[in-house]
Amino acid sequence: MTHASVVELYSAVCPWLALVWCLQRVAGLIVPSLRGWALLAVAGAIAVVVLLVPVQGLVMARWVAGLNANFSIPLTVILAVIVWERVFEPSLLAEREWTTAWSFGAIGGLALYPMALGLGSFDPYEWGWPFSPLFVVIGALTVLLIWKQNRFGFLLVLAAVAFQLRLLESTNYWDYLLDPIYSLVSIVWLAGGFVTSMRSSRTKRYSKTLPPNISTI
Amino acid sequence: MSHVSSLSELPDGRLAATWYAGSREGAGDVAIYFSTRTPADTRWSLPRAIVTRELATRDLNRYIKKVGNAVVFADSAGKLSLLYVTVSVGGWSGSSLNLTSSIDGGGTWSQGQRLTLSPFFNLSELAKNAPAALVSGSWAVPIYHEFISTFPEVLWLDETEKGVRVTKSRVSAGWFGYQPALTPLTASTALAVLRNDDDSKAVSVARTDDGGETWSTPNSVNLPNPDAGLDAIRLSDGRLLLAFNDSETGRENLKLALSTDEGQTWMRIATVAEEPGADFSYPFLLQASSGDVHLVYTWKRAAIRHVAFNIPWLSGSRTRSGR
Repeated sequence: MTHASVVELYSAVCPWLALVWCLQRVAGLIVPSLRGWALLAVAGAIAVVVLLVPVQGLVMARWVAGLNANFSIPLTVILAVIVWERVFEPSLLAEREWTTAWSFGAIGGLALYPMALGLGSFDPYEWGWPFSPLFVVIGALTVLLIWKQNRFGFLLVLAAVAFQLRLLESTNYWDYLLDPIYSLVSIVWLAGGFVTSMRSSRTKRYSKTLPPNISTI
Repeated sequence: MSHVSSLSELPDGRLAATWYAGSREGAGDVAIYFSTRTPADTRWSLPRAIVTRELATRDLNRYIKKVGNAVVFADSAGKLSLLYVTVSVGGWSGSSLNLTSSIDGGGTWSQGQRLTLSPFFNLSELAKNAPAALVSGSWAVPIYHEFISTFPEVLWLDETEKGVRVTKSRVSAGWFGYQPALTPLTASTALAVLRNDDDSKAVSVARTDDGGETWSTPNSVNLPNPDAGLDAIRLSDGRLLLAFNDSETGRENLKLALSTDEGQTWMRIATVAEEPGADFSYPFLLQASSGDVHLVYTWKRAAIRHVAFNIPWLSGSRTRSGR
């Protein structure tokens, strides 16, 4: 198998996981009896078949690659974890590790995309090709997270390994760490969490001001 | 429709030209064409489609909606490289750049390779003008971005036996010129002459004195630009030659200008084409090893026209019509 084939195969992993996750959710609604390994096997097989369906001479997986061929390693692993956690009980990532994952995607995306698309004279994307402060910062963050026993650090190790193996079409380190979908989901997730916590704190303040015999809904 | 031509000289003296043509710009039947001409010949070889939408789809193994701008360049060993635009989704702002090469003078071309140059779905990277060969054997290719804003960049391209290595650097920030013409002055000094889409309606020039590490803020010069493509080269005698549309509003003329002060001021020297209401655009300049200067440009969006002249003609001309 050539390196180009490996890269093409890997580009289908993220779409496959996303499809498996969607099928898991749909199956939960229409075939609730299908659970665990059986559900994973059926959803996985259907997702493979769907991605191999040829349309105008191209399999579906390559149509997806036409839209995005560089799904980041964190997004891929996060999808794998979500698929895993719908099948098995033990959570692979703790609450604080999810927060780290979404924070990394949001902060990284806000640091990268606006400037890379022309806002300001500095293009941080340039830092992803040669050895640069990006590698130092991500290296230090990885060590810190692992030291703090935060498993998101291992996702960053996987991203570094994938970069060394050139698993993506891109040769830029940023693309192994972030992609627009991951960053957008992260920002939406964090914004949703922020709004929820604001509402919650307002409700608490409001209920404190009420007389003891009146409760809020 | 024919548009966006480029030229390169092979070591044997032949000229190689590329352009795209089809029923209309952006149509699915647009292909990138290739033709050559020997120094002794006055005619170009029969144009041959070297990149079609279907071929690009097969080569890059993904859906390609249309093909666009292409730039051909030859190294000292005679290898031709072709940097070309493909779009999978949307208009030209959805462009990505791809690379293919030929070691038999354009007879056959290698499988195209997608270059990832933007973090945002690899969108909106295009090329129009010729790259500059570096001492190291790699290339500095003037490219540009036009998604949310437009800005010029340099693609540093290194083709090795292990594969293609790319990096990229910015000439200016968003909303400050695009379609740069990269004009080396010395080993470390170069100008980027820019098409402008801002209110200045003028050609602007940025300068680097550190091999492209940093660039000056682009300055408008004394020539108009109607938001149209241009090209500039450094002639063997050190003067700079610019091909441009001499108007703030349209492309109904195509003129040449010379600069003897490294692009600070320009003097109009010849009119290549002029006709009210017509469209003469996207010039591409090349000085061949013989010293002759070749200009190709889009003629009324219907054809690609080739004009050749020598240095004495250039030096003697003062806003006269060219042939």
